[in-house]
Amino acid sequence: MNCVVDVCLFSFSLDVLSEMSVKAFELVPAVERDLLMGDKARINIECIECCGKHLYVGTNDCFIHHFLLDEVTSSKGKLTYSAQKLLHKYLGLKKPVAELRAASALERLIVLCDGIVFLVDMVTLESVPSAAGGGVRIRGVTAFCINENPVNGDPFCVEMGVLSSKRRTVQVYMVFEDRVQLVKEVNTPEQPCAVSLDGYFLCLALTTQYMILNYNTGAAQDLFPYDSEEKRPIVKRISREEFLLAAPGGLGMFANAEGVSQRAPVSWSESVIAAAVCFPYVVALDENFITIHSMLDQQLKQTLSFRDGQVLQDFEGKVMLASTKAVYVLVPLPMERQIQDLLANHRVEEALILTEGAQRNIPKDKFQILHRRILQQAGFIKFGQLQFLEAQEHFRKGQLDVRELISLYPLLLPVSSTFTRCHPPLHEFADLNHLAQGDQEKVLQCKKFLITYLGEVRSTEVANGCREDVDTALLKLYAEQNHNSLLDLLASDNACVLADCIPWLEKYHKYFALGLLYHCNGQDSAALQLWIRVVDGELQDCTRSDLYEYIVDFLCCTSNLDLVWKYADWALRKDPSKGVHIFTKRPAFTDQSDLSPDDVISYLGKNQQALLLYVEHLVLEKRIQKEMIHTNLAVLYLERVLSLLSKSPTDEEQLTRAREKLQAFLRESSLYRARFILGKIDNCEKLLLERATLHGKLEEHDTALHILVHKLRDFSSAEAFCMWASSSRDSAYQRQLFHLLLGVYLDGSPPAAGAGSSELQMAAVDLLNRHGEVFDAVCVLRMLPDGWSLQLLRPFLNRAVRASMHACRTSQIALGLAHSENLQLLHDRLKEVRKPIFVSEKKGCHLCHNTFSEPNVVCLPGGVPVHTHCVAQRVRDSPTKKRLTNSSNHT
Amino acid sequence: MPDLSKMKKPDVKVVLLGDMNVGKTSLLHRYMERKFKDTVSTVGGAFFLKQWGPYNISIWDTAGREQFHGLGSMYCRGAAAVILTYDVTNWQSLAEIEERFLSLTDTANHDCIYALVGNKADLTDPKVHLSQDADGQTKDPTGGDEERTEPQVLSAVPTPPASPTSFSGLVLHKQVTRDDALSLYERILRYKGLDEKSSLPADKMCFETSAKTGYNVDVLFETLFDLVLPSILRKRHENRESPTVDLEDSGGVGSKRARSSCC
Repeated sequence: MNCVVDVCLFSFSLDVLSEMSVKAFELVPAVERDLLMGDKARINIECIECCGKHLYVGTNDCFIHHFLLDEVTSSKGKLTYSAQKLLHKYLGLKKPVAELRAASALERLIVLCDGIVFLVDMVTLESVPSAAGGGVRIRGVTAFCINENPVNGDPFCVEMGVLSSKRRTVQVYMVFEDRVQLVKEVNTPEQPCAVSLDGYFLCLALTTQYMILNYNTGAAQDLFPYDSEEKRPIVKRISREEFLLAAPGGLGMFANAEGVSQRAPVSWSESVIAAAVCFPYVVALDENFITIHSMLDQQLKQTLSFRDGQVLQDFEGKVMLASTKAVYVLVPLPMERQIQDLLANHRVEEALILTEGAQRNIPKDKFQILHRRILQQAGFIKFGQLQFLEAQEHFRKGQLDVRELISLYPLLLPVSSTFTRCHPPLHEFADLNHLAQGDQEKVLQCKKFLITYLGEVRSTEVANGCREDVDTALLKLYAEQNHNSLLDLLASDNACVLADCIPWLEKYHKYFALGLLYHCNGQDSAALQLWIRVVDGELQDCTRSDLYEYIVDFLCCTSNLDLVWKYADWALRKDPSKGVHIFTKRPAFTDQSDLSPDDVISYLGKNQQALLLYVEHLVLEKRIQKEMIHTNLAVLYLERVLSLLSKSPTDEEQLTRAREKLQAFLRESSLYRARFILGKIDNCEKLLLERATLHGKLEEHDTALHILVHKLRDFSSAEAFCMWASSSRDSAYQRQLFHLLLGVYLDGSPPAAGAGSSELQMAAVDLLNRHGEVFDAVCVLRMLPDGWSLQLLRPFLNRAVRASMHACRTSQIALGLAHSENLQLLHDRLKEVRKPIFVSEKKGCHLCHNTFSEPNVVCLPGGVPVHTHCVAQRVRDSPTKKRLTNSSNHT
Repeated sequence: MPDLSKMKKPDVKVVLLGDMNVGKTSLLHRYMERKFKDTVSTVGGAFFLKQWGPYNISIWDTAGREQFHGLGSMYCRGAAAVILTYDVTNWQSLAEIEERFLSLTDTANHDCIYALVGNKADLTDPKVHLSQDADGQTKDPTGGDEERTEPQVLSAVPTPPASPTSFSGLVLHKQVTRDDALSLYERILRYKGLDEKSSLPADKMCFETSAKTGYNVDVLFETLFDLVLPSILRKRHENRESPTVDLEDSGGVGSKRARSSCC
């Protein structure tokens, strides 16, 4: 039965198995039976050695076959080997060739056959005669190994560890071109049966245990026990100072030179005969299979059927196998392909471990690209499984072009986007619907994820170069999902593509948002038109119930006056009192091009209510001191009063309020044209108080008081008139007004008059008794009719007398104080005159702390000299200048 | 999820030892993954890396089966802490510690810390079910409500022959008392030639845990981690002291030999 056929049969069945495994290696035939032994059934392969293109095969009939092995890559990228037989040579010992090792620098093959180690020429396969004559031979050898980490610096010398059959020793030899030299012989506690060498460390399988022996120092380290009768030991050097050993229970144990295991073991079968490492995999051969474990997670990754396995060995990184009849190469699939296979099976974690494990075999820049891509693919697999947290983490680490993700969602990317998905694709999904298979719940979850994800990345460098795509997609999702952040997005700095968003926002009736987007794109007019249609009920969008106020606010704040003139009219028609806020609440713009009050007034002309509010705003809040505006306001107030008066029935409450406003304004402003206003109400008998006020403004106090006293008979208003009309004047003016009022009261009531006049008299008495202090008592007494009782005027007189007394005494006190002060100062002066005052250039002025430069100084009370100019300064600033000037004293 | 951090170099090693089926893998799994999972008999050994503050602690889970017994000393080589685990419902599992496992720890660091842990406490002590929330040990809220009645759980954690099979709601006989554990701990110290007074007190180093409910599991590991910190610092200090080791870390050729020669 042909072995190759076997493999083919098995590999078919294993493909079915491979659902759950990785395809890490492919078994490729290198030398087939025909080339080696043809149909000679008894001839078997015993050992192989490969060195560059040279393959040597040792057989049980004591032959060495030499082949030239060429790698051939087919057009499909499939690797095959073609072997060309160069030579075969009978060694003449009639025993199997047990081991072959090439020492290429020496052009020698080290051969173990029939317990003898000897050298043959690599090219001719002729036995090499010793320099000393005769063959180079070491006898009684059971096994040998080559030190791949030699301690000797000589490149033309190979270090070799040898086990001999008789003694419990390990010998270390140096192999030269034409001789071998024993450098060390170390005793072992038991008979060794397998050896591996790294530096000074011998890793040995003894009869009952494994151990590490430093042949330089003799230090020994037991590893663990095993039973050599039960199983064949494996001692395989896998890297610097690290060995792979076959442990009981079919374990592949790792041990370093210190005897410590730094990797978890892999689990083989009990019958493993050979093992090798091809990072990150451990390859092992047993009776029927090649098993491949990952060193990264210790899991079995691949199993290949292999019958009659004889040899498994790695040569310069190339793993080769031999059955009894043929030689194969175990070709690792490109790491990327393996990773892709894992990903195809959704084995994300394994794929990532493998990728990261491959880091050391791949150039850094290439690795980064690969790693990113794998992370991105891993992210999409997790995404497809709705494991969004993991997906996001992978996307983040893999620096995914976020548009790859967005493009899964139909219609989210703007039409204008230049994005095309990367090729080969990162995932297997056509779009979200394909992924969700119609499950709306899944679709929704995916959308929510994208919202979160985009929300997080849009302000990071991930979005660099595709902000338009990201923001547009986000806006669409927000709109569709009725998400609160839609407005936040539009309120912030964003790059949404207007043309693409318009139909989308319209579809979801997000007109307010659309308006904001117009605004973001500098199309305020379009925004306003849209909003107005919403307020007017043409379009439905309940985002803001106060959209009208929003528009007013918007117009209020816009610096585009054209917009204001265009849309204020609509706002004012809708609600004049709120609409006028466009003008009244305008923030102060610094530039001069802002609205001028005159323009606004003429614009508002048709709208009385708004105009009133605006002019009121100008006068009361902006405090504009312009005759025309004040007059305008007065007229507006008046017109309002008049219009209320003309209505019947009149709304008394409104009228009162309107009149109070008018009256207050007439009283408080002095800028309006009083004569003009008076002209408008001169004949109006209902607005007497206003007329009186206006006369007062015109200083026609007679007329005013006459109206108040005789026409209105409102004495308290008359008093109040006197108060406000004189409020900004001196007391003489006030006194004059009060006397005038008193005169009006008294003149209107001749002593013999009736009830009406006694009312005026009472008013006069009350006035005197209440405001006695403003009157000149002597004048008043002269004016009063003789018949008035003293009792009646008693409060007035009392106060007048007291006031007069008070004035007298106050002035006496002032006089006394002034006198004493004068005396005090006189005393001071005399004191100062008597004693000297020293002035020198070293002494400083107490006021300015500069030194004196001239003898002229001023002396402060207490004899303190200061500069004359300092004192002058102080006097100018000080309220107590009088005292200082008095006390000044020139020396 | 496989631990990606396996590539990192561990600062210190902690090893779990004990007879098969006492629950070593479950304890470690409960601590690392915060859940109780069906486990299969460990083959050979496995290890996890735990980030503890700035340090990487490797925790080796060993196989309890006799077959793998020989590997124990290798796992213990250079260990800073060894967790000797038994099953409170199985007297033999405690005896095995003394008979089989203690000698394996000869390769551990000279200042190695030993913890004696009786697992499966939930089987004998109903309070372990109740008290876990109060103790705040378990972070898995569902853990406590389950009864150990489900057959799959029983089959998943095969009870050793010496231990009677538990039936629904039945509280098993506790075969190992705390006093047994305390006296074993003292014998361990004696075996190690350590002075009782200067060593960590038995009271502090004997734990009863339940990987099933999470009872005392965090306490166990975290106590140990805190105790091995000085060992890490010492190791780092040594590394700084000895330039040859630095060379070795950066891949120098000659240094390792120089160092090994004195071992």
